[in-house]
Amino acid sequence: MASMKKSGVLEPVPIELLREPLVWFFAEHYRHRDVCKRLLVLLDTVDHDADALQAIHDFLESDLPIHIIDEEDDLFPLLRRRCEPDDHIENVLGMLSGEHANDMHDAQAVRTVIAKAISEERGLRCYSESRSVIEHFCSAQKRHIAMENAVVLPIARIRITESDLQSLGQRLAARRGLPDPFAETP
Amino acid sequence: MIESLLNNNMAWASARVRADSQFFRRLSEQQSPEYLWIGCSDSRVPANEIVGLDPGELFVHRNIANLAPPRDINFLSVLQYSVEVLKVRHIIVCGHYGCGGVRAALDTERRGLIDHWLQPVTELARAHADHLDTITDFEGRVNLTCELNVRAQVEYVGRNPFVADAWRRGQKLAVHGWIYSIRDGLLHDLELTIENARDVDALVRRRWSSNA
Repeated sequence: MASMKKSGVLEPVPIELLREPLVWFFAEHYRHRDVCKRLLVLLDTVDHDADALQAIHDFLESDLPIHIIDEEDDLFPLLRRRCEPDDHIENVLGMLSGEHANDMHDAQAVRTVIAKAISEERGLRCYSESRSVIEHFCSAQKRHIAMENAVVLPIARIRITESDLQSLGQRLAARRGLPDPFAETP
Repeated sequence: MIESLLNNNMAWASARVRADSQFFRRLSEQQSPEYLWIGCSDSRVPANEIVGLDPGELFVHRNIANLAPPRDINFLSVLQYSVEVLKVRHIIVCGHYGCGGVRAALDTERRGLIDHWLQPVTELARAHADHLDTITDFEGRVNLTCELNVRAQVEYVGRNPFVADAWRRGQKLAVHGWIYSIRDGLLHDLELTIENARDVDALVRRRWSSNA
């Protein structure tokens, strides 16, 4: 049982990374990939792993929507203001925004099947709909994250200023009810 | 129940007096706000509360989609009074993401009088169609239009004769463009601040986005 409990733990991103918000985004993306990996493992079993299922359910319910707000309300508008026409960022951001809307819809479908598995104490393999729903979600996430890591974050590193980074880190913290990561400690 | 609002009011007034026995006496003597807030009527955007200001500290004008129409007598009265009588130091145009007025301006449904009010937003979206069309998600287009609308209103305010006259007189007055997110309660400075006529010209010339 100890190992099953351990399988449920989703490591949070260390809050110190809020001082380096672009690294925070990379770390969040790593977590998203980890969630997808775990989902695909759980998809292949009829055994009920309550902790693992609950952790993923919670992630999809809370962490993913906040991450999307981080990007939609902070990072993307900032890039729209800072990027140069030659960066050709608009089409990429426009496409990613569309994908964010789909992510929320797909995540809801995954949550529904996980909630069913939790309430009936069964594994995801017991449900015929789970494969298509989860595989679709995971492949879309993988593609989406690859684009953000390969295009958006590298451009952000070039265009976003030190003062932008500080303000971004403060906003990510405020959104999570965390203290200002740049506040001087007495 | 409507009575609960009156009861809430009594509780609020009483709590205020307990916290500061002179609060209402000071407030009744004069108002000298430093800020004029031009915001949306949306009930989820309570101006004073989100900027942590007390009654008396923020002069507020709200309408659907936070417009600053150059021929709206209500808006013009508020603007003139706040600039020339109250002598506010800052005018804040504040939009919000997910604005229902902006959303209505972007779809084709007919709603009546409101369509006329929102016509400037519809025209703004039409002028930026190339940019907005790069966003496949409708809500994403709405949110970007909310930002564009704030900028357009900042420009209108900056060009307004009352504001131009204030600057000509040497009055300290800045116009800011902010946007609020109902999803997390955070305000964003859209970096549109103008403090004189030259700033307005520079803002008008500034590109609207990386592909504009």
